[in-house]
Order: sequence, then C-alpha cells, then structure tokens
Amino acid sequence: MASLPGVALPEEYVSDVYEMPEQITLWQDAWRRVRRNKLALAGAAIICVLVLTALVSVFWTPYPIWKQATAPTYEGISAAHWLGVDASGRDILSRIMGGALISLQVGVGTMLIVALIGIAMGLLAGFYRGGVDAVISTLINIWYGIPDLLVVILLVLLFGRSLGNIAFAIAVTRWMDMARLVRGQTFALREREFVEAARSTGTRNLTIIMRHIFPNALGPILVQATYAVPQAILFEAFLSYLGLGVPPPTPSWGAMAADGFHALELAPHIVLAPAIALSLTLMAFNFVGDGLRDALDPRMRR
Amino acid sequence: MTRGTFIYIVQRLLLISFTAVAISSIVFVGEHGLLPGDAFISERPHNPNELATLLHHYNLDLPLPQQYQIWVTGVLHGSLGESLVNRGVQITPLLIRELGTSAKLGAAALVFTIGLGLTLGLLAALKQNTWVDYLASSSAVVGYSMPNFVIATVLVLVTGKLLYIWTNGVFYYEIGWGKPSQILVPAIALGFPYASIVARLTRASMLEVIRQDYVRTAWAKGLAPRVVIIRHALRNALIPVITILGPLSTGILTGVVVIENIFGIPGLGKEFIDSILNRDYNIVIGVFTFYAALVGLVNLGVDLLYPVLDPRIRY
Repeated sequence: MASLPGVALPEEYVSDVYEMPEQITLWQDAWRRVRRNKLALAGAAIICVLVLTALVSVFWTPYPIWKQATAPTYEGISAAHWLGVDASGRDILSRIMGGALISLQVGVGTMLIVALIGIAMGLLAGFYRGGVDAVISTLINIWYGIPDLLVVILLVLLFGRSLGNIAFAIAVTRWMDMARLVRGQTFALREREFVEAARSTGTRNLTIIMRHIFPNALGPILVQATYAVPQAILFEAFLSYLGLGVPPPTPSWGAMAADGFHALELAPHIVLAPAIALSLTLMAFNFVGDGLRDALDPRMRR
Repeated sequence: MTRGTFIYIVQRLLLISFTAVAISSIVFVGEHGLLPGDAFISERPHNPNELATLLHHYNLDLPLPQQYQIWVTGVLHGSLGESLVNRGVQITPLLIRELGTSAKLGAAALVFTIGLGLTLGLLAALKQNTWVDYLASSSAVVGYSMPNFVIATVLVLVTGKLLYIWTNGVFYYEIGWGKPSQILVPAIALGFPYASIVARLTRASMLEVIRQDYVRTAWAKGLAPRVVIIRHALRNALIPVITILGPLSTGILTGVVVIENIFGIPGLGKEFIDSILNRDYNIVIGVFTFYAALVGLVNLGVDLLYPVLDPRIRY
C-alpha cells in the first residue's frame, strides 16, 4: 500500500515495486478460520460419517431394519450384533443406521423449508420496509407467542405422522429466527453504496434483491441454517420419544430411546445407543455452526 | 404503573386470548371435523343405543357450530367440560391440580437452572483459560447438545441403579411423585440444558464486564474481591443473562412435557400426551387451550419483569 510520501518508511519510499497484498475472498478467509477450529473440523467429520452412514443404510444394513428375533431379546453387545439387540430382537446397529437417515431427512428438510420461508419473508420485509415490513414483523411477533410444541403436535395430528409432515410442522414453528435475521441484514445492506449504484443504473428490484442483497447476506444465513438442522433433529427425536413422531417400525432415534427406557435397568445399551448417536449428531452440528459463525463474522463471536 | 405499561399489558392479554381462542378453535374443528371416526371409536363395537346415549351426553350428536357454541359458553363459565374416557371427571379442576404439580417441578428446575448456570458461568469467567473454565465450558456444550430425555435417562440410570449399588441401597431415586426427594432428579434433568445456556451467557458477559474501567476502579479502590465481583461486576453482567429468561421459561414449559412423561409425574405435561394417546378429545382441547394461555401468561410475566430488573427497559 502506498502511503503519503511524508510518512512513508524509507525502504518503502525508495522501492518502486509495490507488492500487492494477497487477495482473498470472504469465503477463502472463512475456510482458513474454520480449518484452524478443531471442534468445527471434528463436527464436520462426524457429520460426514453420519451422511455416509445414512447413505449406506439405504442399500445395506447388517440386518434388515425391521427384522425381529435376530438374536435373543435384550442381548448385549456381541460380534454378530455390535450394538446388541432390542426388546424385539432387532439389531440396534442397523436401526441406528436407519435412524441416521431419518434424522438427516428431517433436519435437512426442515432447514430447507425454514430457509425458503425465512429468507423470502426477511428479504421482502427488509427491502420494501413500510407496510410489508409491518405486516411481516407483526406476523413474526405473533408467531413467537404461540407455543411451538402445540403447533407441531397439532399439525402432525391433523395431517398425519409422515416424515414430510413432521419436517413441515417443525419448520412452521422455526422460520421466524431466519426471517428476523434476513430482515435485519437486508435493512443494513439496502443502504449500502453498491445497492445505490445498482439502483442508479436502473436495475430492477428483484435483481437487486437476488444479485446484490441476498449473496451478501449469505454468511449469516448459512450459520442460521446450520443451527436449524440440530434444532429440527432434536424436535423430531422429542416427538418420537413421546410417541407422536413417525409411526413404528420406522427407526427414529427418539422412539428407540423411548423403547429402551422401559428396559433401562435390564439392558441399558438399548437406550444408550440412540442417545449417544443423537447427542453426537447435535453436538457436531452445533460445533460446525459455532465454527462457521466465528469464521464468517468474527464480530459475532460471543 | 404508567399508562404505556397498562396499554402494553392489555395488548398482550388480547393477543394471548386471541391465540388461545385460535388454537382451541383449530383443535376443536380439527378433532370433530377432520379426524376419522368419532370420539368413541374402538375395537369393540358399541351397542348402538349405548353409543347414542353417549353421543347425546357429550352433545356430539349436535351440529358442529352448536357444539362449539356450547363449549365456548362452558369455557366462559370456567368449565372445560367432561372427560370422554373417564365419565364424570370435570376437566377444569383436573387441569388446575395438574398445573400445581407442573408448577412445582418447573419452579424447582428454574431455581436449579439459574443457580447452576450462574455458578458455572461465574467460575469459568473468573478462572478464564484454566481447567475450571474448560470443565465449565465443555459441560455447558454437553448440556447444550444433549436432549433432556437423554439427560433424564442417564440420571435415572445413575441415581436409580448405580447409586443404589454404590450406597448399598441407602440412597437411591425411585421413579414416581410424592416424596420431596423425587422432585430433585426430574428438576435437574429439566434444568440442565438451560443451565448450560445460562452458564455460557454468564461467562461471556462476565468476561466483558470485568475488563471495564469501572471494575478496574473498584479494584484500585481496594475493595474486597467479593464486593467487586458480586456488586460491581456480576450485577451488570446479569443484564444480558436476563434476556434469556423468556426463552428459558418457554423451554421449561416445553421440557416439562417430556420430563413428566419420563418420570411419571402426574402434571400438565403428562396429561398433554396421555390425552392425545387416549383420544380423550375434550381433555385435548382443554389442555391445548390451557397450555397456550399459560405460555402466553408466563411470557408476559417475564416481559414485565425485565423493566424491574433493568430500569433502562421501558414499554
């Protein structure tokens, strides 16, 4: 960087060749920061294993997920059954693998719906302000007042306990955080010079929103979306645990934990396997979320 | 109370009643209009005469708008109707009794959450980057990532089985409700995840505050560490922590549903799930309405508490 001649250091002053500082984009910078964050990397590794497990479970599991009496009931860990079998003699490892798929589907599905509703609402409210913002903000505030458990259970009861419905029901109670975040980002971004420049050249509103505002808000959106996944997984496990999630014999971790709880003293491995799988998954997503947050916006670090 | 506060309270109360009415109407229409089968669907066929008597007793033979009108009239008179499964059981006294149980559990959990969270957060901040900090921070992460039913399971395993073995049966926890000791384990299971959030927040805001000039002044004046930490630092560090009271109380109200079902505590949360699984529609509507109003009122209470704790906040 060239500075004023009067204050430049002698070496800098005499050399004609200025070295260009290395140019890195926000995402390259973020990647460097994430790479230094051990917890986030560990979380990412766990998520990779989880995704692989879920994919493999579609084609192959040690035993069929639904198959009962593969071993004496309540049998513990053995060479044939790495995580033992449950009360009906089903192989727990197979069911954990199947459960990974269910959890991921709910988590990612909910996240996508949340992102879709939240981003759209947030962009509209933040960009158009005024009446649109008033309506959307009021909606958000009212929605926050409604207990999410009621809404989810109600929707699931009325429309059925399928995976898609559960993801949708959870998303319906979770979009407000995303909407509020995007609204705030949009509020700030729409006043920036590049948006003004775009507007001065006659760019249409939709193009400004999609090409200038949305990409610049992507960082915080990504962080928020990462946090939405474990929240949804947790909620699904919670529903299944109460017996209101996907109907059996679908191997949901929450339902497996509930089954195992009844035999807690006799065979703790039945409840511990899904409990550990669930905790690891949630922890992994939270770590990655924390890592992304620190990497993408160092000022947000708390 | 200023006029602004009064208007604010009235607005919020209106919103709460609107929510309760909306939820109860949706549940009502959903149950009576959308769900397959009537309230007395069962595997054994009913005697048609008996069924007709039953339907008539619960006004289920009337058209839907009229049923709703009767129900609303009842609610305005303070009666949520009669249980479908256990005939003759009035729902309002039942729910109020269960609310008492849940309130006890929730209050115990709240005390535990705030006590443990503040202690952990304070210790972690004061001993930053020592093993105390790492232990507190990592236990906070564990608490944050473990669903409350997992914590409950581990606690039951430890206190019910291992503690029994270790102490030769002197101390142990037995699932149930009634003895004062039986409130402790569920309250810990309910409060632990939130305690970890409180700890994280307290640590962060405490770290910020103890670097401020006025705290350095307090040290420089030669005040006792206790006075500096508690009166100067902690008081101000608590302000951001207070903002979590709202999500915290909502979280406890939600968590109660799971915890009561795990520990077999006869409270509102257990009724919530039991009534759904038993298809006791009248109780379902009652519980939904009650719960919606409860969450709204608790949130309002917390919001009214903010200005008391932090005078800069006004409505």
